[in-house]
Amino acid sequence: MSGLPKKETNVLKGHEGAVLTARFNGDGNYCLTGGKDRTIRLWNPHRGIHIKTYKAHAREVRDVHVTSDNSKICSCGGDRQLFYWDVSSGRVIRKFRGHDSEVNAVKFNEYASVVVSAGYDRSLRAWDCRSHSIEPIQIIDTFMDSVMSVCLTKTEIIAGSVDGTVRTFDIRMGRELSDDLGQPVNCISLSNDGNCVLASCLDSTLRLLDRTTGELLQEYKGHTCKSFKMDCCLTNSDAHVIGGSEDGYLFIWDLVDASVVSKFRAHSSVVTSVSYHPKDDCMITASVDGSVRVWKA
Amino acid sequence: MATEDDDDFVFYGTPIEREEDTISRKRKSVAEASGQLRTVPAHKQEVRDEEGRRRFHGAFSGGFSAGYFNTVGSKEGFCKGGSYLTPNNFAGWTPQTFTSSRKKRAEIIQQDVTTYLDEDEKAEMVGNSLGTSMQFDTFGFTAAEIARSQSEKEQNQRPSAIPGPAPDELIVPATDPIGVRLMLKMGWRRGQSIKSSKTNARSDARREARKAFLALSEDAKTHASDSKDAEDAIETVAELPIDDISQLPKSTPVRILSCFSCAYVSCHSDFHVYVLNPKQDMHGLGYDPFKGAPEFRDNKRSHLPGNRESGHKRLQPKKDGLFSFKSINVAPGFGTGALEDLDVEDEDVYATGYEFEAFVEEVEEPSRLAIEDKKKPSVKEHGSLPGFKAATSSDNQLERFDPPVVPKDFVPRHKFPVTHEVNRKLTEVPPAEVPPPVDNKLKVLIEGVATLVARCGTVFEELSREKNQSNPLFDFLNGGNGHDYYKRKLWEAREKHNDKTKPFFNEKVIPNAQKMTAESRGNILGEKPLQRTVKDIKTDVPATEVVNLQFHLSDTFTEPLSFVEPTEITKPFQHDPAKQERFEQYLKEKYHGGLRTKDAGGSSKMSEAARARERLEFEAAAEAVTQRKWGKEGQSSSQQILGASAGRGAQASLAEEVIKKSMFPKREEFQWRPASLLCKRFDLIDPYMGKPPPPPRFRSKLDSLISMPDYVKAAKEEEKTNLNKFSSTQADEQNGTNVMDVEENVEVENVERPVDLYKAIFSDDSDDEEESTNTNQPNDPKTKIEVANTALTRIVAGDFLESLGKELGLEVPPDQPYPEKHAKPQPTPKETAQEIQQVRQEKREEIDSNAHKDIKGSKNDTAELDHQIEKKVTKVKRDKNSSEDERSHKRSKRHSRRSSGSDGDTSDSSDGYRDRHRSRHKERKKEHRKHSKHRKHKTHESTSRSRHSADKEYGDGKREKRRYRD
Repeated sequence: MSGLPKKETNVLKGHEGAVLTARFNGDGNYCLTGGKDRTIRLWNPHRGIHIKTYKAHAREVRDVHVTSDNSKICSCGGDRQLFYWDVSSGRVIRKFRGHDSEVNAVKFNEYASVVVSAGYDRSLRAWDCRSHSIEPIQIIDTFMDSVMSVCLTKTEIIAGSVDGTVRTFDIRMGRELSDDLGQPVNCISLSNDGNCVLASCLDSTLRLLDRTTGELLQEYKGHTCKSFKMDCCLTNSDAHVIGGSEDGYLFIWDLVDASVVSKFRAHSSVVTSVSYHPKDDCMITASVDGSVRVWKA
Repeated sequence: MATEDDDDFVFYGTPIEREEDTISRKRKSVAEASGQLRTVPAHKQEVRDEEGRRRFHGAFSGGFSAGYFNTVGSKEGFCKGGSYLTPNNFAGWTPQTFTSSRKKRAEIIQQDVTTYLDEDEKAEMVGNSLGTSMQFDTFGFTAAEIARSQSEKEQNQRPSAIPGPAPDELIVPATDPIGVRLMLKMGWRRGQSIKSSKTNARSDARREARKAFLALSEDAKTHASDSKDAEDAIETVAELPIDDISQLPKSTPVRILSCFSCAYVSCHSDFHVYVLNPKQDMHGLGYDPFKGAPEFRDNKRSHLPGNRESGHKRLQPKKDGLFSFKSINVAPGFGTGALEDLDVEDEDVYATGYEFEAFVEEVEEPSRLAIEDKKKPSVKEHGSLPGFKAATSSDNQLERFDPPVVPKDFVPRHKFPVTHEVNRKLTEVPPAEVPPPVDNKLKVLIEGVATLVARCGTVFEELSREKNQSNPLFDFLNGGNGHDYYKRKLWEAREKHNDKTKPFFNEKVIPNAQKMTAESRGNILGEKPLQRTVKDIKTDVPATEVVNLQFHLSDTFTEPLSFVEPTEITKPFQHDPAKQERFEQYLKEKYHGGLRTKDAGGSSKMSEAARARERLEFEAAAEAVTQRKWGKEGQSSSQQILGASAGRGAQASLAEEVIKKSMFPKREEFQWRPASLLCKRFDLIDPYMGKPPPPPRFRSKLDSLISMPDYVKAAKEEEKTNLNKFSSTQADEQNGTNVMDVEENVEVENVERPVDLYKAIFSDDSDDEEESTNTNQPNDPKTKIEVANTALTRIVAGDFLESLGKELGLEVPPDQPYPEKHAKPQPTPKETAQEIQQVRQEKREEIDSNAHKDIKGSKNDTAELDHQIEKKVTKVKRDKNSSEDERSHKRSKRHSRRSSGSDGDTSDSSDGYRDRHRSRHKERKKEHRKHSKHRKHKTHESTSRSRHSADKEYGDGKREKRRYRD
């Protein structure tokens, strides 16, 4: 238990209003946050330094993702478009328009050649970063409700939707697997071994699914998650499940027996986002209270 | 800047008096202007600029700044090139004397910019062209200049690889002129003045001032010689086409050449370094972005990081001094505009002595800007964000999969393990050959059973032994008569089975298949118990045939239990035939394996929970059945099962929870076609590469309505009537508030094939005349039928509407006029028909002509459509009994024409027709994976569908629509 990041080491302050997303970069040296103040901020969470602010979004920033080489950012938000940024210059390289309403989540693929976005318009869209086309490569709209979260593997696109399904689009096999959880899915998160998917449902339950069989492996309860888009994640060792709560608490469950290992007050308000360091025992949490906190073991 | 440094520096010379100068003049001008305006008449007023200088002249005084010092008199310098294109530019013109072109051939006039420039403009533009008067040409520069320009001219006339004068301008004699050399020999050193006192007093003063500023701004250390020397040096250099900057920092080893001119720094060594600075900014030639705002230039310079060349660094303070001195630079190259805002320097437009000073700075400017610009990108290149470092190694390196290590003791040959039962048996000693039993029947039976057992395993042997315990014929199984022969045969059969190859299969099965009649096949495939065959053996049916049959069966079905199982099926759900059917289906699925049709058997009518519950029930029942069978428990099972299911029903509410839990997560699998580009970007092979695009999945019927192919055009009457039906309903509903709902409901429930909505509405046909013929001329068979059809559909549509309204919870009074929300007052069905027909008569005639062309193609669709709709209609009819006879009458007519009938109360022939269609329809449905299920149970649906199910259906339809949007 000593390895769990429960000690607050830094508070990243700068956002005005709610912070909606906080994400580590590929190697965990930096983090990006986006919030209601329509900015994306780049931080060094370990030193607590604000490095840069990216402004162009017209409405709140809901999700942000950075390429593994730290050179590009994609972000999305309430203005229905995706922004594709150059990190160092802070300029928008491209804007992808096409979603009919707010865009909830965005991810690069492994080669940073495609951005996949999930929108309130019940669709997933894949956008090309290589060519100059601003039309989506593909639109997946088999969802029946807002798509809240998207994860990419090398061969698959996985997305969770309010219609209660976690759908896996296997590009290599050309098939779609739909796992109906029966509850609106808020956020999905892949385990680090890629075999499981953790889905945060709006019935205040996190569900761990086996990806190959679609079997429900475990349910994690205790927190409150009824109306907000809140992140959940697994630790980098896949030993624990971490999720925020609407009352500002942070819950850490044991992956196997689903017991609450730790529970502490992280923020004064809804914990919107949790991101775990890819290698170290470190995590960042973002909250509606406008702060981003860095936690270490 | 000068003021800042006041404390630190000693002043030499006279500070420039420009400030007061201008101010006083300004004041004067203002005073004058105000005075003049009042006193002087308009024609006498003078235009002056804000500094009181008279810049405009009368037409005959040479226009703006024209003439020779503002006089008409000219030293013929003015209109040389006609640089001011005013009508007065002849003002200073002097006629040339005539020269005969005979002796002197006309020269080719080479025009270039300089042709059109004033002397002073040229001086501004091209530093080199500025020369000292020969009188001061101590160093021979001017002479050299002249010589050079001469050679340039020559060069220009010769074709040159590099066009234009630019390269020439850069050429500067690398050696010192003889004068300099002489002077040096005489002990003169650079920087020392040669005391020449013949300078214009005015420019002298200016020079003094400049010197003072230079001295001020100069870095004290770089000023090697004392300030007096510096002054002298400047003085010396002043008239020379050399950048004064270059004179002072002697050690600077860099020579800067701008695109306009060159400025060089003479070095200690004998060589000169030429640095060419191409223009790199985006400004126009000679444009100075900081004109009028030099503080920004400083600003910009201060932004530059310090990694500039040392030479430039050295130059910098110097320049600062200069720029602070001359706050505003005049753009070189062209004359000053009339309204251009000029600084004090302008007052000396006509002071020829020192213009180059302005020029010098101009020249320097672009070059430095160029340097700045060059620096910038490089800065951007490696200097990203402070505090941010782009990852040097990204994770997405291609993974390399090394081949697996082959163990040392690996033998690259495959040894088959001898664990296989059959193989083991093969190795057994074959039983001795036994002569077949005398009874031929028995022999055949034994052979058959042996083959079967070989094929299906010993289970079959045991089974048949069990079953036929009492049968003397099967004694051979228990070691009785013919046992040895059986053993032998079994061994043979096994052997044969083991090296059975395809030929065996093909040869045997195909000829024997002919023996199988449809009846016997049905018997065996269906629920016919197996005992029957045994009985048959006992009776007359030749045993060979039966055994053969079974043998072939076992050939075709791999699962041995498969045809044992149905024999034992009792009917635990006899009270509910539908359920029993489902149960059997379930069992079939369970034991046959294979594809499980999820929604088969109409069970999709039920809710998820109900289905799951039923499944549990079935499972229990099946268990009971098998138990009874194997354990010989007997008859009570049916009761048991029923009881069990009842008990389950009691616990249903509790179970439902559990079921719900166990139901989720529920996995479904669909086909999904990734875009090929997506595959490419993910570095994957497109799984659908080369395959034709998938059939468009219709998301909803409503959507597909619009995208339907236009086979409608060539439709026959039936289709048209259908369309009529639709259009009427739609037309009626269109005005309703719940248009969408109703329409969708209609579609979902009735449409098998999509119908073009627009066509249905706008291109439909109807016939007023035919309506009338209905009553007047019942003799014409064709029209009669048509009319009957249309009329029927009208009525049907009306009823249908009402039923729809009911389903949707809207009360539609049957006989009263329709509510106001319908824009068109709703007449009785018949009237509606009439009306619409009137409107659409023409269209119909047109289609009539086409009608019979493509009957075959459209028949499917129309028929399906019809029977779907009629099904609905009959349902409606049940509710409403009005005009029953008429309708049935017409329907019968209709049937006589096209054999597609309405539901239950119609003839058998129509049913047959429909069945045919249904099967055909099913075939087609296979294409549409998901939809097929959806539709299938729709077709199976009985007429007693509840409103609830309809609503659910509607919901489903909506879901479908969403799901298949791509």
